[in-house]
Amino acid sequence: MTIAAGIGYALLALGPSLSLFVSVISKKPFLILTVLSSTLLWLISLIVLSGLWRGFLPLNSTSWWPYGLLLFTSIAFQEGLRLLFWRVYKRLEDLLDAFADKVSKPRLFMTDKMQISLAGGLGHGVAHAVFFCLSLLTPAFGPATFFVDRCSQIPFFLVSAIIALAFVTIHTFSMVIAFNGYAEGNKMDQLFVPVVHLAAGLVTLVNFASGGCIVSIPLLYFIAILTLIHCGKMVWRRLKEHQSTQGNS
Amino acid sequence: MESSILESIGVEIIGVMSPVSICMFLVVLLVYSLSPSNPFSSSPSIPIRTAANLVYLETPSDSATQKLEGSLLNALVFVILIAIVTFLLVLLYYYNCTNFLKNYMRFSAFFVLATMGGSIFLSIIQHFSIPVDSITCFLLLFNFTIVGVLSVFSGGIPIILRQAYMVSLGIIVATWFTKLPEWTTWALLVALAVYDLVAVLAPGGPLKLLVELASSRDDELPALVYEARPIVSRSRGSNLGLLVGGVSDSGSVELQAVNEGENRTTNEGESSPLVSHSRERHSFSSESSEHSTVVVSSDRVQNREPEIVVDEEMSPLVEMMGLGNEREQQTRRDNVEVRGSGSDRGIKLGLGDFVFYSVLVGRAAMYDLMTVYACYLAIISGLGCTLILLSVCHRALPALPISIALGVVFYFLTRLLMEPFVVGTATNLMMF
Repeated sequence: MTIAAGIGYALLALGPSLSLFVSVISKKPFLILTVLSSTLLWLISLIVLSGLWRGFLPLNSTSWWPYGLLLFTSIAFQEGLRLLFWRVYKRLEDLLDAFADKVSKPRLFMTDKMQISLAGGLGHGVAHAVFFCLSLLTPAFGPATFFVDRCSQIPFFLVSAIIALAFVTIHTFSMVIAFNGYAEGNKMDQLFVPVVHLAAGLVTLVNFASGGCIVSIPLLYFIAILTLIHCGKMVWRRLKEHQSTQGNS
Repeated sequence: MESSILESIGVEIIGVMSPVSICMFLVVLLVYSLSPSNPFSSSPSIPIRTAANLVYLETPSDSATQKLEGSLLNALVFVILIAIVTFLLVLLYYYNCTNFLKNYMRFSAFFVLATMGGSIFLSIIQHFSIPVDSITCFLLLFNFTIVGVLSVFSGGIPIILRQAYMVSLGIIVATWFTKLPEWTTWALLVALAVYDLVAVLAPGGPLKLLVELASSRDDELPALVYEARPIVSRSRGSNLGLLVGGVSDSGSVELQAVNEGENRTTNEGESSPLVSHSRERHSFSSESSEHSTVVVSSDRVQNREPEIVVDEEMSPLVEMMGLGNEREQQTRRDNVEVRGSGSDRGIKLGLGDFVFYSVLVGRAAMYDLMTVYACYLAIISGLGCTLILLSVCHRALPALPISIALGVVFYFLTRLLMEPFVVGTATNLMMF
């Protein structure tokens, strides 16, 4: 029973990404490598951040503003890293195209580029879920469960799994939006991503109030669904455009 | 729609990474499921005595300096032992005792699978109270072992089976190594990484000699080596280390296996008249000159890994298996190497790499899951770096140093820096 609960929490957080991985990513080795490297990048960002904040820990758990500051710096740092990731990817894309010419294969399709960005986002999302949810899950395999004071209605593991799922979704698809925005030079999309990330991070601050998780989780899911819809619309539009240009040419 | 290049890039890298990942994952699972089973039994209180801690037996009450000195000494002794045995191996190989070496390797595979594997199976059976009678268990174990022994160094066995046995050998040995005390494990890992670096890259290093010898004879290495699936189609110049192979569907495993079998037999057919019967060095060298040019051009990469020889006294296990008085030290060797050769064979990774990656991850698993993930990512990225270097350097490379260094650094960073941060924020339900 306890093992079932533990696996259930893990699957709740990572199930959608797992199916995404199996259905899209795992067939193309290059995408697996992209997922791994983006996961590593996220881990490094987390380590750097924790190194920066190590001196101030543990934070005073009665006031919320240190946490706000922490969230803000972390998100700013990670968004900066996303720019870096984009630069690296851009260079990689050129190399891949050159390579494709060399072996006389077609260049990267638009869907390929989107899949690469999806894989990059999935790496970020999985890293989030792994470090913030899965790594704290060890006690859930044991015979007991754990409640935090501020959210005493739901077990801690369940809450963190639910939140992690929202963040996985946000991370995964905002990477697709961001890369597309950078490629098209679309300022709206470029801004959309950090704003969504920041909003999602700040919504978790609501958890600080007693019983706040009842409010914050629906809000978080609203943001996640917004990201999803935006991403879906954007991809649909690009595919349409692509088809029409192909039809014309 | 033509298939894009995304599907063909990195097949080789994944071909090496996936078995390593499987091995690490299973070791972590084993460590996790078996470690809580014996707080009440006596085994943790009596630390096992192996070649890896000949000098110093760590006890939790010792002071830090004592532990440090002792573990360094242990690591030193262990590395020296390995170096001696490796030189012995090179010497034997030099004098063409290939049959002896192969049989010895089979024997050690038998020993590892039967006794160490057996004791692990026993503890699994005990822990999960699986209802199995002793005769069935013995028969199963016997069959498992025999097939394993046959799959080492013989053609005609499907490559997938061979690979599976290599991985399971790695798992078994790594699970045993995780029973070493903590400080000794870390010192040992670092020492082995350094040894690996020296032995593969330094002129006169035993592994370098061995690889050169093997490639000049166009022979298989007399060692336990994991071969990634052979690449059937093109071998092209590697571009920025994106190793490209043609195999992407697991559905073609059967075909692959057949190909491999043929490859192998023809290889042997070719090389045996050329090489193994040419006791006189001159005829050998004249014959091989033409051969070695081929080798040079097609051997994109020769990657060589540490040879790890482990002497372990199997006392707990011997008692368990009721083999009373056989207490002599068993030398087992896992030869580790990464060697990618041309188009007919894939990248090769020594079994020792498997073992010590898994030992690191298994040791990390005893602390927390977070360190496991960090170490896994670090090791895999280190392996990726090594493979990319391999495609640049075109020679045998040690696979341990980068991975182990990254793994150890990430372990301590995670443990010291990240854990308080993540636990502090996550338990307050702050996430980003």
